[in-house]
Amino acid sequence: MHTEDFLREITAIRGLSGDEGLVADFVKAQFEPLCDEVRVDSMFNVIARKKGPGPRVMFAAHMDEIGLMVVNIEEDGSLRMGQVGGVDPRILPGQRVTVFGKKKLMGVIGAKAPHLLSDEERKKNYLREDLYVDLGMDAEKVKSLVSIGDQIQLEHRYTALQNGRVSVKTADDRACVAILYDALKRLQHIHHEADLYFVATAQEEVGSRGALTSAYSVEPDYAVALDVCHADTPGAPSTRTHKQDSLVASMGPYIHPVLRQKLVDTAKDNNITLQTAVVPRYTSTDADDIGISRAGVPTALLELPLKYMHTTVEQLDLNTLKEGGRLLAQFAAAVSSSWEDELWT
Amino acid sequence: MDLKTLCEAFGPSGAEHEVRALIKEAAIKLCDDVSIDRSGNVVARKKGTDARKPSVTFAAHMDEIGFIVTGHTEDGMLRFRPIGGVDPRVVVSKWVALGKDRTKGVIGAMAIHLQTPADRERVLDYDNLFIDIGAKDSKEAEKLCPLGTYAVFDTPYTEFGDGFVAARALDDRVGCLNLLEVLKSDYAGDLCCVFVTQEEVGLRGSQGAAFHIQPDIAIILEGTAGNDLGETPSRFQVVRPGEGVAISFMDHASIADRELFVKMQDVAREQGIPHQIKRAITGGNDAGSFQQTGKGARTCVLSVPCRYIHSGNNVAKLSDIQAQGELARAFLNSL
Amino acid sequence: MLRDTLQILLAAYGPSGHESAVADAVRELLEGHVDSMKTDALGNLIVEKFGTDENAKTIMISAHMDHIGLVVTDIEKEGFLRVNAVGGISPLFVRGRKVVFKDGLPGVCALEPNTKNKSTPDLSDLFVDIGAESREEAEKLVSIGDMAVYAPDFTALGKHKVASPAMDDRCACALLCELLMYAEGQKHNIVGVFSTQEEVGLRGAKVAAYTVEPDIGLALDVTAWGDTPETKLPAVKLGQGPAVKIMDRSMIASPAVREKLFEAADLAGVAVQREVLAFGGTDGGAIQLSRGGVPTGTLSIPCRYVHSANEVIDMRDMEGALKVLLQFVDLA
Repeated sequence: MHTEDFLREITAIRGLSGDEGLVADFVKAQFEPLCDEVRVDSMFNVIARKKGPGPRVMFAAHMDEIGLMVVNIEEDGSLRMGQVGGVDPRILPGQRVTVFGKKKLMGVIGAKAPHLLSDEERKKNYLREDLYVDLGMDAEKVKSLVSIGDQIQLEHRYTALQNGRVSVKTADDRACVAILYDALKRLQHIHHEADLYFVATAQEEVGSRGALTSAYSVEPDYAVALDVCHADTPGAPSTRTHKQDSLVASMGPYIHPVLRQKLVDTAKDNNITLQTAVVPRYTSTDADDIGISRAGVPTALLELPLKYMHTTVEQLDLNTLKEGGRLLAQFAAAVSSSWEDELWT
Repeated sequence: MDLKTLCEAFGPSGAEHEVRALIKEAAIKLCDDVSIDRSGNVVARKKGTDARKPSVTFAAHMDEIGFIVTGHTEDGMLRFRPIGGVDPRVVVSKWVALGKDRTKGVIGAMAIHLQTPADRERVLDYDNLFIDIGAKDSKEAEKLCPLGTYAVFDTPYTEFGDGFVAARALDDRVGCLNLLEVLKSDYAGDLCCVFVTQEEVGLRGSQGAAFHIQPDIAIILEGTAGNDLGETPSRFQVVRPGEGVAISFMDHASIADRELFVKMQDVAREQGIPHQIKRAITGGNDAGSFQQTGKGARTCVLSVPCRYIHSGNNVAKLSDIQAQGELARAFLNSL
Repeated sequence: MLRDTLQILLAAYGPSGHESAVADAVRELLEGHVDSMKTDALGNLIVEKFGTDENAKTIMISAHMDHIGLVVTDIEKEGFLRVNAVGGISPLFVRGRKVVFKDGLPGVCALEPNTKNKSTPDLSDLFVDIGAESREEAEKLVSIGDMAVYAPDFTALGKHKVASPAMDDRCACALLCELLMYAEGQKHNIVGVFSTQEEVGLRGAKVAAYTVEPDIGLALDVTAWGDTPETKLPAVKLGQGPAVKIMDRSMIASPAVREKLFEAADLAGVAVQREVLAFGGTDGGAIQLSRGGVPTGTLSIPCRYVHSANEVIDMRDMEGALKVLLQFVDLA
């Protein structure tokens, strides 16, 4: 499968944090022919192993998505929404959704109409609590088909824009799972010494929970977490954003400096452009929890710049994504047991 | 002609070409006298045989809300403004289609992670919203979407739930659809169906139409905002989708002719057509033009209740759309 | 009976970190009903009752013994005590309440008068009056670091409801005791963990789960309510049955365990509710993330006014929960 098709397909699958079963099935099926063994654990982490005699390396990218859940059904049949992870309420009014009740139901998110709002209210954004899902059916029928806790998925559209840029929901962080996939494909033709684990993690958006448990079971010697970071966006502080056309390697106390340097060297050797980000404390990615698994794991972080994170139109550059696959494959091939001596020098 | 085709046609105010072509083609099959007037309205006339019957005009607007490109930023983003009343709070994280080629674009916004508490509260206005087509710089953006390029929400027509439809431009393609139905009637008096332009930017097309048609009676087929869900108190719901075509006593542009208002209800009752009275004075439409142009006309408005009329997803019930057409025809037959 | 067990456990003193009196009460209740009992470094009481199946799984079921309280941080020269919070305790709930210290010493809580106009007073505006007339007198009775809890006060409300402090989470301790007493010949190994320090961050359950290494985890706890004036969420009502948790801040319940709970409820003929909580957490969150991950769920007792001195539950929900649990340990 082309990496782009992988991205298109994986972003379409519903998989709120904690309920990633369907995504896990897809990832397992795609990784299986490229690996020696693949398993899905009780948290839905997909753990794929490509064997080697050398150090054990874990590459992690999360596959869960932020989203919405039914928390109440009003007397008139409209559904109130709770959030799983951080959903920006500004993206919701007028959005189409799918509610996964006893069957798949299409809905539209409605808001209190402008003529009902005071002048003061009109100047403010809608809150999630004020919005509702309209299923276009009467309350009784809604109650027979929908239960509290049912998932609500925002509309998925894979929109190819100019210059190889793509807008699609859940690029955070399935685009990085696509990088894992791309790297795995490349590694079919590249020799590696390392014992490689490609992990699609669960529940990152609610606190890197899948990374915590999968790192415990994999027990890696080194790890690289892959996640998205912010690309330049109008109105956003430029100190916190990066160019869309190349990857970012963060540095800071949570990132192992030697391992990061190895990543940077690999990039340089292969003519891959890397930007640098400085993160003074936690990175808010899987790297944070993997780094302190068991006795500790030297961990680096590789990030893919994304515009409009946590919206339905998250935008990435396909070329940057593929460069990520190339870098990861080359890095995997470069890992050597000799690195152990350099770690704390 | 079906509703899907009508709704998916591109036609923000001032760029109704596609809709006009579709309607003209359909109208020609139903009557001999179809023309385009000086305001770009499609005028379909059926000459009557009985001069004692009042001349009746039915009107619906072809245009829809949308956007227009007003500039290009250095990094290739498009600046834009709304055409008609589009609440800026419904455009974030949506898809748009631009121009004849339907170039795809998205409207993003700064990620929630980067927002300050004040950002979260503050509504992003059109100075701070951009359409992103993936262009690398202003030159490329300008080439693909020059100044003045029109855009619409890129929303497919989808039926869902129990007989509901979500689509762009239900306001007022439902009226256009039913106008074509009315055109099939055999009315003994003079009948005119006019599909007007530029309603959303100030009832402009209908003024020209009203001036040259000057009918005795003008009936406007519209879409109107309904807000029946989300625990909205009954007094604020205005109209309820599913309860039939809405008959207005007045809105901000006109007061219904009392006799027509009562007659509409009588006809609906006699024919068993589901109907409701619009329970508020909101909005304004082409009835204002017809009522107050030239010698003036007696007017009445029949509306299809639409939820979220200010957004890219209008929601209406198909049975209400049908009721609007049925009542329009039954009314004509009763004259 | 469930109600008697509950009353025994509610009477025991036990703020976070000081749960031994509760553990003693549990040990007494369970004597002769279980295969083993031991206490770990954090004071968790870990109780085993073996299953009969040769492929028996180990199900860890936890209920926390600790409850919120106040800790003395300073004694004024007039003999009044200044306090800080142990767990999530609000000065609005505490003001005017009677509290007790470990040895039964009573005190009453009051807010300084100048806080009247504050919409949310701070705990630093509160003091405890134990009747002492000087610092010296007070110091003979209490020391800095002593903890006080709401004074026990069990009240029946109407036919089915009961109110008391510490219902969070002694009602679950009572359920777990009854389960361990009445489960007989069940398929799976039940490891009941009467956990400590839940209210300060699921601390007891975290280490207990590491020790127990269960195949399946289940937390028993109270949840919030949505059935009083101007309260709609969570959509959980008292008297409509126990609630199966979908998610809260600490955990998204493992779908497999969640579904088993629904299945158990079905078999038991007990109506259950579905709970989505935008806040809060239970021991389940700690168990689920233990080692390489443990499939975990939470069964909740709907409870009004959680963390107040009058936490109200419905005994019908308790009876329903016990039936569900008895099925669950045979099924899971």
